[in-house]
Amino acid sequence: MTSPVRITALGAAPRAFHGQIRDLAVRWALEETHTPFEVHLATDAERASPGYRAMQPFGKVPAFEGDGIVLFESGAIVLHIAETRGLLPREPDARALAKSWLFAAVNSLDPDIIALGDIDHWAPQEPWAIARRPAVESMVRERLALVDARVANAGHLAGDFSAADIMMIMVLRQLRHTRLIEERAALSAWRDRCEARPAFQRALAAQLADLARTSAP
Amino acid sequence: MNKIRVTAFRWVPPFAQGLVRDLRVRWALEEAGLPYEQVLIGPDDQKSAEYRKLQPFGQVPVLEADGVTLFESGSIVMYIAQQTNALLPPDAAGRARALTWMFAALNSVEPHVLNLNTIDLFNANAEWAQQRRPAAEAMVRSRLDALSKWLADKDYLEGGAFTAGDLVMMSVLRFLRHCSIVADYPNLEAYKLRGEARPAFQRALADQLANFEKYKPVAA
Repeated sequence: MTSPVRITALGAAPRAFHGQIRDLAVRWALEETHTPFEVHLATDAERASPGYRAMQPFGKVPAFEGDGIVLFESGAIVLHIAETRGLLPREPDARALAKSWLFAAVNSLDPDIIALGDIDHWAPQEPWAIARRPAVESMVRERLALVDARVANAGHLAGDFSAADIMMIMVLRQLRHTRLIEERAALSAWRDRCEARPAFQRALAAQLADLARTSAP
Repeated sequence: MNKIRVTAFRWVPPFAQGLVRDLRVRWALEEAGLPYEQVLIGPDDQKSAEYRKLQPFGQVPVLEADGVTLFESGSIVMYIAQQTNALLPPDAAGRARALTWMFAALNSVEPHVLNLNTIDLFNANAEWAQQRRPAAEAMVRSRLDALSKWLADKDYLEGGAFTAGDLVMMSVLRFLRHCSIVADYPNLEAYKLRGEARPAFQRALADQLANFEKYKPVAA
């Protein structure tokens, strides 16, 4: 790993989202693997610019520069860090399982959780949102029950703590405005265990400090 | 890869035929030239404790190979790509880029596509759906807009070679077949058709559809 790692994080965001912007997952994975990195904070204007879009076509964060490559998508970056710096079980079956859970976080949990967040943050009083919310919440609950069963049984998603736990926690942090995690004992205990890790605490503190400096009060 | 088994549905309603996610895995296996056995399941299997051990969400596909079990189509396509080199460039940087595009398809585009499909395919006549639809469509368009600008006049997302990232992105674009949004972006439409024209895709699609014909419910 020759070139220094540089990540792009969000330069400003509404307060409700501090602590759940997706550069958090990348910071966390880098902290877990003791990888030094620098953080570039992208303003809204920069994210809209052709130069930034050449690096991140959707204008989102995070982006990753290092190891001679440019990557985007938090899931891809976390997986890249995990593969190159060791955040996955070594035993083939557990390793495959960890990757499956990482994909489950972004593709089986996140879509419904994004839909719930869209309702609660952006349209809570809209008639469509009031009519739709119970069904979306019940889909989220159904999926959470399965993650709860998994961690109740196994302690972590696959083997010991891994990149799968990082991505799942990242996705589930979008539910902080609800009590959906807290209503499940094993799920919230697993979350608390993961979030108590010093690497997570450092990553979270850094994101909060960056956003506190740049965001409107 | 040896002794490959892929789990798929025996039958699904027409709106899902040709879209169920085992198609992505069949396509990847066909591209890699790997024979596989299909394991067909129905609604009762989906709920069974035994199946939930393989697939916690009761969905398809599951892949079993080399003594390893995987779920999530993205995870399986990546495994096939990494084991066979059929769907990834040889260099580390190119491989990481292909991986990035898989995640972009699954996590930046597909959630918004699914949101629109929930409206159009399952709730078209609900009042909330009619109120919600314009914003849901606008969100899909904003993603496709960015994707179209990125693709520009390239054949594939990273230029010359078809990768696992294209396979998944094309599969996600196919989820919009019930509407004409993709066709509004001529380069994305051509990109999707480029994928569908691949012989490996055609074989994968035919194999999925053959089950639905064979196991079609008999009208009461």
